[in-house]
Order: sequence, then C-alpha cells, then structure tokens
Amino acid sequence: MQSLVARSSVVRPSVLRSSARTFATSSARAQAVPTEKPVLNKEFKIYRWNPDEPAAKPKLQTYTVDLNQCGPMILDALIKIKNETDPTLTFRRSCREGICGSCAMNINGQNTLACLCRIDRNESKDTKIYPLPHMYIVKDLVPDLTLFYKQYKSIEPYLKNDNPPADREFLQSQEDRRKLDGMYECILCACCSTSCPSYWWNQDEYLGPATLMAAYRWMADSRDTYSAQRKEKLQNEMSLYRCHTIFNCARTCPKGLNPAAAIAKIKLELAAD
Amino acid sequence: MSSARMLGLGSVLRQAALKPRGWIYAANALRMVVPKRGIKTQSLPPSSMTEILNTQRLKRPSSPHFTIYQPQLTWLGSIANRMTGSALSVLLYGYALAYLVAPGTFDSAHVIEFVAGLPDAVKYTGKAILAAPFAFHSWNGLRHLSWDAGKFLSLKGAYQSGYAVLGATAVTTVALVLM
Amino acid sequence: MSSALVARSAINARLASTFARRSLRPLAVHARSVSDAAYVPGGPIYKGTVNDPTDFPPPSKTHGSYHWAFERLLSAGLVPMTVAAFATSSSSYPLLDGILGVSLVMHSHIGFDSIVVDYLHPRKFPILGRVFTWTLRATTVGVLVGVYQFNTNDIGLTELIAKVWHA
Repeated sequence: MQSLVARSSVVRPSVLRSSARTFATSSARAQAVPTEKPVLNKEFKIYRWNPDEPAAKPKLQTYTVDLNQCGPMILDALIKIKNETDPTLTFRRSCREGICGSCAMNINGQNTLACLCRIDRNESKDTKIYPLPHMYIVKDLVPDLTLFYKQYKSIEPYLKNDNPPADREFLQSQEDRRKLDGMYECILCACCSTSCPSYWWNQDEYLGPATLMAAYRWMADSRDTYSAQRKEKLQNEMSLYRCHTIFNCARTCPKGLNPAAAIAKIKLELAAD
Repeated sequence: MSSARMLGLGSVLRQAALKPRGWIYAANALRMVVPKRGIKTQSLPPSSMTEILNTQRLKRPSSPHFTIYQPQLTWLGSIANRMTGSALSVLLYGYALAYLVAPGTFDSAHVIEFVAGLPDAVKYTGKAILAAPFAFHSWNGLRHLSWDAGKFLSLKGAYQSGYAVLGATAVTTVALVLM
Repeated sequence: MSSALVARSAINARLASTFARRSLRPLAVHARSVSDAAYVPGGPIYKGTVNDPTDFPPPSKTHGSYHWAFERLLSAGLVPMTVAAFATSSSSYPLLDGILGVSLVMHSHIGFDSIVVDYLHPRKFPILGRVFTWTLRATTVGVLVGVYQFNTNDIGLTELIAKVWHA
C-alpha cells in the first residue's frame, strides 16, 4: 500500500510533479516498511582452476546465493558472488545484454551466454557452471580463445573485390542482402564451436561452426568476388569436412542462428563446383 | 602498487595521498615498513614474451566436455548413428574375414544350421539386436542424406526428423523381428 | 580415450621439461620460431603469434568435395540396392549380390576411416594413427576378397541373411 502511494505520485501530470512528488515520496519514505522477501538460497557449483597453483586439479566450488537478493540472470549471480563472496572468481563479461559474447560458458550442460540465461528458481536443484567445453583454461571460467580467433582470421572475414565501383558504393539487391540474414548477426561468442564434438577432437585443423558460418557469410555475399578462392581453401579433409551435421551448434547458439545449415550449404556448393 | 597491497600498505598510502605533499609521507611510510633491500628487476627482450606465455599455456588444463554436456537428441543421435554403423560393419568385416580364413567352418550351411539350433528366445533377441541398429542407421542415414540435399536444415527440422527416425526405428525393428 | 589423454599429458610433460631447460639459455631466439618449435597438434601452444591466422592444408578435391559427394552417392545408392537385393530372388541375380557386397564394404571402410580421422588422426597419434589407418586398409582388402569368395562359392550375402533370419 505504501509503495502504491509512492508510485502513483510519480505518474502525476508534470505541472504538479515537483511539489507533489516531494511531498508524497518523503511521507511515503518516512512510513515505508521494507517488504522482507523470504530467503531463497540456491547453490551454484562453479569450475575453479587457478594458474598460480597449476598443480592443483580443477574443482567445482559451491556458492550459495539468495535469489531474492540477486538479479534474474546467471551473470547477475556470478557478479554477486564475485562482489560479495569470493573476489577471486574469474570470468569474462562486458555488455550484460547478449551482444558482446564475452560471458559464454557452459551452464547446466549447455553452452550459452550467462547474461541471457535465466537462473532456474528451483532451489532444490543446483546450477553447474563450467567454462566452454574442451578449451584450455586460463583461469576459472576464462578459456583461451586464441586459436578460435586465429581461425576466424584465416577465412579473411572482410569484403574482397578487385574491381570496386569507381564512383559509388557497392550496390546489392534486396534478395542478395537477405542471403546474409542469420549469418551476419554472429557475435563470435564461441558457444557453437565449443559445443561441437568434431571441434573438441580436431580443433587444431577443423575450423568449427562459427568460423565456417563466417566463411559462408562472405561466400554468399554478392559483392565479394573471391568466392572461388574461399571455397578452394576448404577443399581438404579437415577444415570443413570434419562436420558431421551433428546440429549441436544450432541447438546451442544463444543468438538463435544456424551454423549447421550454413555449413551444409557450403558442402552443397563445393560439390556443385 | 601490488607490492604495497601485499604489505598491507594500501590504507597508509591512501591517507598519505590525501594530505598535501603526500609523496613525502608515502616515502616515509614505505621506509618504515619495507626493509632496506632493493627490488630486483630482470630485463627481458620482447621476444621472450612468447616463451613466458607458452610456459603458462603448457600448465593449462583442458575443460571437461562430453562428460558435462547436456544429453541432447542432436549429438546422441549422431554418436548412435556412428555406433550402430560400426557395429553392423564390424559384423560384416568379421564374417567376411572368418569366411576367408576358414571357409569350411563358416560356410552358409553351417551358419544356418547353427542358428536353427538356437532356442527361440535367443533367436528373437538376436534378431532385435541386429534389426534395431540396422533400422536406426538406415533411417538416420536417410535423414543425413536429406540434410546434405538441403532439406530439414532448421533446428526444428532437425528435431522433428530426429523423433521421426526414432519412431520409424521402433516400428521397423518390431516388423523385422516378427518377419 | 584415456590412452589419448595419457599420450597428450606425456607430450606436455616432455615439452615442459624442454622449456625448463631452454629457459636457462639466453633468450635470443626469435619469438615465432620458439612457438613453432614447441607446436604440438591439439596442444595449448599455437603456430605463430596471436595475430597470425591459422593455415590451411593444401587443397585437394579428392580429399574434399569429391570424397564427400562419392560418399553421399554411395550411401544413397545403398537404399535401392538393398531393397532390390531382398525383393528379387538373389540367387538368380548374383551380380546384384556382388555390387551390394562391394558397396557395403566401401561404405563401411569410409565410415571406419572417418572414425580414425576423427579420433586417432596420425598428426596427433603418429604411431597409433598410422597403424590403424593401414590395418583398416589391409582389412578392407581382405574383406573384399572374403565377400567376393562368399558371393561366388557360397549362396551370397542376401540369401545368407534371408535364410539365417528365417532359420
């Protein structure tokens, strides 16, 4: 009731706003009794490994978080733990809204972005958080993505055209532009590549779903004239053809993209060459 | 800074910094706490960066993978496809090699006679054990071929075709066992 | 799997000791060559610096799209072949048995081969990988001979399966 009074004051017409709000909120604040939320403790089991003690085996450490004192997303819980319980807990995060791809990790067995993953409010079940699977671990939840980026660089992810139009920008029909939808949105979080069993076993040679979809994004671009050379590079046993259409990539993509379909289209186009 | 934090000097330095001419106080505070010993530094060429990084890299553990990954129709179906195919192929390879080595023992007459002598329960179990992988690998093979032809490539298509394969496998297995 | 892990950790241990010894020497070696010398496929050390892209194996359509297309055509062909072999009385069409036999063995060989490439590639397992690759090739040749003999001297594959099934 108190909070209702306080809130109604905020939506008053602007003419009355200053005086009315000052009066209403101050009185409400004086009388307000903070609503005590019940404690809802949930256990988070988080993968820990410290490079300063390299001989110690990686272990799962349990943290208890009161969900009623915490934001709704896994990233909120991680930040809360780091702020209030254990400042040594290490993870990457930046935008907290699913566009930077930093907080990619394996949550309850699925690769996803911690900032887009809601906490399951069932307190009887713990939540297990691991780093991205089958990656070398720098610390705790931080995997070494060097190879992933080197591979992305290898497919030359930029427009290549020897005869750019002299007097104007590149033009593209709407249908041609539409071919890039569902591919250009990739944020390179590495969720898909590290969910792929083929990438687990052969990541030094197999490019993995994220990089292959990026490769197809440039093959499919009507403005790029290096499609043949791009395809030629993939004509070997490892780079592309370790994909066995498992579909883990499409299943796990936090942006709802479909690398499996892009790879299948590359294979079809290579076979048609 | 980090050495100051390790020595517990953080608050002293911060207080000192707030006062005017703080650096003198800070220097005094340092002189009081730090024993007289020079901090040793080592000059390294930039090229040694890679070496230092690589010694760190060699200590890094590899994160767990299939043991912690959620069981999903996608990859379980894929590994099942590989296992059923391998099992059937091992049978083909095994029998062909056995026939090559000892055609007298493994000729069709002996094999049929041996199977005919088995009790019914064993026969039906054996048929089910052979029919189920064959049915699954065949149907899932068709699913893979349709993917390769560009069909059912959406996530929904992958799941629907996956459940269809499981259903078809069950029906075909029963039909083959009763045949 | 466990053997792979053991092998990997053994390599890592060896590398670590190499590094321990090397770090005592003056550090005049060029950064890039240090990295490349320590490179182990699948290991935590990468070729080149963090800014160098990975390289591609030499292009070969035989290992790429031709292999892929052949595999798909073969698998697709197995469907009508199997149906035809069991629909007709196979003893009257021995050729069908022969084609089916060869196709099945090739299909199996490609499947086994992709298992070796996926899990035991010679670049990671120089000895074990090669042993498996060549054992597989030799076995497949033996199996082809065995299947041919069974199809010519005995009742043929389809007839055998049909008779065993109803035995």
